[in-house]
Amino acid sequence: MALRPWTTATRCLRRQRSTFLNQHGSTQTREKTFQPHHTLSRPLAPSHTTLSALVAAGAHFGHTTSLMNPNFLPYSFGTRAGLTIIDLEQTLPLLRRAASLVRAVAQRNGTIIFVGTRPDLQDTIQRASERLGPQGYHIGERWLPGALTNRNQLFQEESHQYRLTPDLVVFLNPLANMNAIRECAIQHVPTTGIIDSNADPRIVMYPIPANDDSPRTAQIIAGVLSVAGRDGVVARGEDQKTYQHQAHRILIKQALTGEGNS
Amino acid sequence: MATVGLRAFEMFASRLSCRLPRIHAFTLRSLTTGTAATPPPLNSRFVPPASLETMDEVELEGDQVDFDVSSPPHRPRPENRRPVPPSPAFYTARSLYYDTLVQLQAALSLSRRALRAQHLLPLPPFALRALPPAQPAWANKAEMSLILQAPLTARMYKRVVTLLKELEQCERIARIADSTELEDAITDITKGFESKKGIQARDTRIRAREAKEKGPLDKYGRSYTVGRRKTSTARVWMIEVQKPKDDASVPAANTKSILSSSSATTPPPPTSIVLINSVPISDYFPLPADREHVVRPLKLAGLLGAFNVFALVRGGGTSGQSGAIALAVAKGCVAHVPEVEPILKKAKLLRRDPRMVERKKTGLAKARKRYTWVKR
Repeated sequence: MALRPWTTATRCLRRQRSTFLNQHGSTQTREKTFQPHHTLSRPLAPSHTTLSALVAAGAHFGHTTSLMNPNFLPYSFGTRAGLTIIDLEQTLPLLRRAASLVRAVAQRNGTIIFVGTRPDLQDTIQRASERLGPQGYHIGERWLPGALTNRNQLFQEESHQYRLTPDLVVFLNPLANMNAIRECAIQHVPTTGIIDSNADPRIVMYPIPANDDSPRTAQIIAGVLSVAGRDGVVARGEDQKTYQHQAHRILIKQALTGEGNS
Repeated sequence: MATVGLRAFEMFASRLSCRLPRIHAFTLRSLTTGTAATPPPLNSRFVPPASLETMDEVELEGDQVDFDVSSPPHRPRPENRRPVPPSPAFYTARSLYYDTLVQLQAALSLSRRALRAQHLLPLPPFALRALPPAQPAWANKAEMSLILQAPLTARMYKRVVTLLKELEQCERIARIADSTELEDAITDITKGFESKKGIQARDTRIRAREAKEKGPLDKYGRSYTVGRRKTSTARVWMIEVQKPKDDASVPAANTKSILSSSSATTPPPPTSIVLINSVPISDYFPLPADREHVVRPLKLAGLLGAFNVFALVRGGGTSGQSGAIALAVAKGCVAHVPEVEPILKKAKLLRRDPRMVERKKTGLAKARKRYTWVKR
């Protein structure tokens, strides 16, 4: 096959064609394209979480209808293919409520524990706790029974050094951590978590009805909560600065009026 | 993990200009200082849950600033003065272990990224096979439990060791590719998990491998083998008998006169010397059965007269000592001529006879002998 000669004319023609065609067609780039790791590495802010994102993650799939907990009925949309479909229009405001809670707790220097005791949740909880800085903790393997109620035995030296009661615990799979939920209730620690259709929503204080078996749903929800927590930590930093500025001004004023008086 | 390792990891990550996961004793200052990216704007409307409205809220907007000297300044709600636990895995009660896992995983991905940037990963299979073998000196489970300050189960230990092995492979690739910076960075991290015992075990393995590669014979062509039977131990050196120089016999062999008989021209059969404790075998073992035991391996292998045998034997009686020497001689034959191994194995001469004198038991006269049974 003989190739066309690469002349100036050919080059000009090619350039014209390319500049013309560049104005049309797809503007999709790699940066704009969704990739599967984005739910983990690019978490959504609470205001940017959409119904379609939750549906894409499969957050609306509940368990089989026969396994539905009767107390879950208010959050179910209906049934399809033998599965309970979770009403995501209720999930979204409840998720935002939980995000506000996390933000408020973080802003008041509260500690938040992310609990996800399945192998596919390890990355999620680690990154979520990282976003909260020193205020974020994670438990990925097993909640040690007595971590809160028997802390003098489990954490002997640390119980005198640090404040051990967390201010909020987030459960990504609450049904597998009923011991932990019970301990939090005994110790009056607020809880929030992903409630599937086979769970009673009353086990946690702020339920988020969604599919707890889907790792992508857990990534979205933990991402939203941790982003809100990060906002809270930042707001606290700004508040601290403002308070210090205020206190400084008052000191100066005191010094000036004191000098004026004397 | 040693503090040295933590700092090394910091330097490692900074070299590769990557973000660190937050671990034991780190504080993520980049939240408020915003090193990599500016913090995200507070664009979501704050909707407090019902219970929070009763709490003191921090209202520090500009129009609410109180400039009255008498009233105290707004301050955040007084909280518990104690600090929070430092490690993110504190509530697992094995914080150093889980932090180490996170750190090792991060180090592994960073080093893999660095190797990929240098086009050293993924390696083709022939290159992987050609890599020098791994020579790990990792601490054992008990020592690792001390290093990581947590009681380790077999599964937990295996998780750590698997990550360390992967890191060590990256280090080997970096070493082969003369990427010294990366190699040193990884070594700084992994050396915190090695122990003296592990290093000793590794050195033993290396020496054993070298000895195996060198071969069973020393520089003089001697084999040194050990045999045991009952309570006797025999150490045996075997060396090939020097073949006699047959320059004189060559012209004699060529002539074929009627008078010359075959016995005159053929060289004498080779004789070997067998010394046991510097004493010839015929003196040491007066019984022919014991002598037969010693010589049997050579007979079966067809090596009678091929080797000189020097044995030092200690312990036990005649049959124990002869059995021990026999085993050592069989092993020596295999060392010199590996092809005879199947013959000797089939004759069960390479097996250390495990029979030992059975102990006497209480209520019995001897090991098995019972006292006379009495009806009444």
